[in-house]
Amino acid sequence: MDVAPLGPRSLDWRSVRQPSIALTLLALIACAGDAPHRGGTMVIATPGDADVLLPPVAHNQTASHVIERLFPKLADLTLALNTVDDSGFAPVLAERWARRDSLTIAFTLDGRARWQDGAPITADDVVFSLDVYRDTLTASPYAPSLEPVAAITAENPRTVVVRFRRVYPEQLYDVAYHLYVMPRHLLDSVPRARLASSAFARAPVGAGPWRFVRWTPGAEIVVEADSTWFRGRPNLDRLVWRVLPDVSTAVTALLGGEADALEVVLQRDDLERVATAPALRLVPYASPLMAGILFNVRRPPWNDRALRRAVAMAVDRETIVRNLFGPYGEVPIGSTSRMQWIAGAPARQLPFDTLAARAALDALGWRDANGDGIRERGGRPLRLALVVPTTSRARQQAAQLVQDQLRRVGVELRIQPLEFGVFDRRTAAGDFEAMFFSWTLDPSPVYLAHWWRSGAPDNRGGYASPTFDSLFADAAAAPTRAEALPRWQRVLEHLNDEAPGVFIYSPRNHAAVARRIDGVTIRPDSWLAMVASWRLAADARP
Amino acid sequence: MTGFAVRRLGAALVTVLAAVTVSFILAHLAPGAPIVGDAERLRADPAVVARLQAQFGLDRPLPEQYARYVANAARGNLGESFVLHRSVSSLLAERLPNTLMLAGAAVAASFGLGLAVALLQARAAGTWLDGLLGTATLVFYSMPSFWLGLVLLIVFGQTLGWLPLGGMTAPGAPDDASAAARALDVLRHLVLPAATLALVQTAVVARYQRGALVDTLGEPYIRAARARGLAERVVLLRHALRASLAPAVTLAGTSVPALLAGSVLVETVFGWPGMGRLTHDAIQARDYNLIFGAALTAGVLVALGNLAADLATAALDPRHRK
Repeated sequence: MDVAPLGPRSLDWRSVRQPSIALTLLALIACAGDAPHRGGTMVIATPGDADVLLPPVAHNQTASHVIERLFPKLADLTLALNTVDDSGFAPVLAERWARRDSLTIAFTLDGRARWQDGAPITADDVVFSLDVYRDTLTASPYAPSLEPVAAITAENPRTVVVRFRRVYPEQLYDVAYHLYVMPRHLLDSVPRARLASSAFARAPVGAGPWRFVRWTPGAEIVVEADSTWFRGRPNLDRLVWRVLPDVSTAVTALLGGEADALEVVLQRDDLERVATAPALRLVPYASPLMAGILFNVRRPPWNDRALRRAVAMAVDRETIVRNLFGPYGEVPIGSTSRMQWIAGAPARQLPFDTLAARAALDALGWRDANGDGIRERGGRPLRLALVVPTTSRARQQAAQLVQDQLRRVGVELRIQPLEFGVFDRRTAAGDFEAMFFSWTLDPSPVYLAHWWRSGAPDNRGGYASPTFDSLFADAAAAPTRAEALPRWQRVLEHLNDEAPGVFIYSPRNHAAVARRIDGVTIRPDSWLAMVASWRLAADARP
Repeated sequence: MTGFAVRRLGAALVTVLAAVTVSFILAHLAPGAPIVGDAERLRADPAVVARLQAQFGLDRPLPEQYARYVANAARGNLGESFVLHRSVSSLLAERLPNTLMLAGAAVAASFGLGLAVALLQARAAGTWLDGLLGTATLVFYSMPSFWLGLVLLIVFGQTLGWLPLGGMTAPGAPDDASAAARALDVLRHLVLPAATLALVQTAVVARYQRGALVDTLGEPYIRAARARGLAERVVLLRHALRASLAPAVTLAGTSVPALLAGSVLVETVFGWPGMGRLTHDAIQARDYNLIFGAALTAGVLVALGNLAADLATAALDPRHRK
């Protein structure tokens, strides 16, 4: 294993923390074979600072990553990301759970669990946490995910009973995945409306495998391994999130040995820079992201299914992906990404077929009567205005390729780049003809409802299909993954047939990680979920 | 001189009020609304958004919001950031010193270097050296600062390994590091971002000062000084430079807006935790209170810069005191 070069450019705090490299090496040799290789700091380059470090009110990705290290859940997803039944979960705060009936799960808390100030974690903390999430004064954006929970009660200090409003297969997922447990004894006195601005939200006391050390706003957040954590201490000593907003600078910091890890390298040239660096490696993992074009089906002529299908067939998605990402991207099979377990079912898709697209447009009466290359019907040219956020280089480039492809079948695509705030507001208000979306998917396929179910708040294209709603309800009710898979396949195929959108690309995510870090496993929905098992390579210095 | 200072102070207050008012109007005229977090990842419940808007007074008529803001600001209350959930004053107090350090270093470097280049050019006016330096400064002046920053970062940070690759301190610095070690660490991180800002500004200073020096060197009293047999170094530094400094001093004061604007890009490229980046993020998220607080602070800095330049110019040349 290569050792990342550390040039003379920086004071290397990682090395000066040790009294002597020789002594460290001797210690390592002595320990070899007895225990996992422990120690060392990993510096993670992150594009933005956290907003707050309190689970119900944190909004951005960096905050989520830090919070996930500090606060425990009752149970967590395993690498399989199976959200349907209980087999996909591993115990965290709860040592076990049992279903009392179809609406009730009882969790037994691990008696060894302690807050990092020494107080024991009790069932009251869990009850309190749900209450905080759901209090309208807290204004938590995660509250809707916990809506199916009717009540949580503390049966005794170690037993929490969760009762759900309805019977459905993802009960455990909802309560385990979306609820972080917080210390009642430290937060009970803080008014709910002031939780986000409380001192606790800047310097939290958690109960996870990592302990908060410090937060230098705009610069870095540091956590260290909790050597007393009841499920075993993490291998690395410290994690440092270093804020580097410019992606080129972040990649340069990786190449220069001043950062060890970056969640995802998106640009092809950056990927190639990292791939050829001897001290770094690219770690592939399934992407939760999927992007494409969403039609506003409320607006004619885009309420015409046949027209949407014709346009979808004219888009050569393979070429777009190859141009944009090369080997680092793929065409999604539908409204999903490889991260979701439903992507395992090959769904029928509309083919790329310009002849069929032209024939369909002809049949619909869209013809180029005046010879300008653009089809018309009743004197109206076949134009599609596509709004694209200026913040996304990939979407802007993809839009240009789609524009060129559609022109070949006589459809004029007008690209409207919009500042993100404007893009968001206009698309939320339905003020668009087509939008270039980019969705970060949840591990659960039930999340598809947000975008496609009739009347859903985030169904920006206004798609409404009783057939879809019925297929969706059927799939979401399947009790096991094996039974659910073919039903989800039908859901995806229905969307592909209806073409309320064109599902164009999903990146193949690659994290950049220094070779001095070993044992790197990435859970696609949360790339640092397994970081407690990452460790320094045997020949790397701390 | 006192009356002059009072008049200038009055003008400075008007500048600050104008900055806040214009930013208030522009922020509300701009399409989009305050966004909380990653809008494509996390959708807030409309009821929650409505409650937050009421909490921050965003549901009130605009004139009322403006009047409240100005009244609160006059009492030193700049409100709370919608996104970061902290008082705007504390956020600015945290970040402003970093930006001042960066801009201060850039001003010092650009004026030191700019004056030196101008002296060389003026002394060799019309020669190949004058042309070469003029072209070189023009090249730096034409470079986008973010691009120049990246080039410096790759050359001096990654390739040569002489300087750190972004940030304000080395990552994971121990809590018990000595003050001297911390100061040295910050200084090493300051070099590249300050140089990026300074190189662009150096070109401006050099071009202004060269012109002023060349004009001054043609004055009769300079010829008289040379006729008295004074060394050329003395003529240049003691007589010509001092007499021609007024434009450069004015430029120093008026360069504050350019430095603040440049710091947004430079702070982003170098990961420098300053006010520029904070403002940029606030604008992206329509974090109104933070935008207005940043505009107010920038207005104060610009007004102070102009005020200092006016006073310094007046001190150098009494004809400017009217």
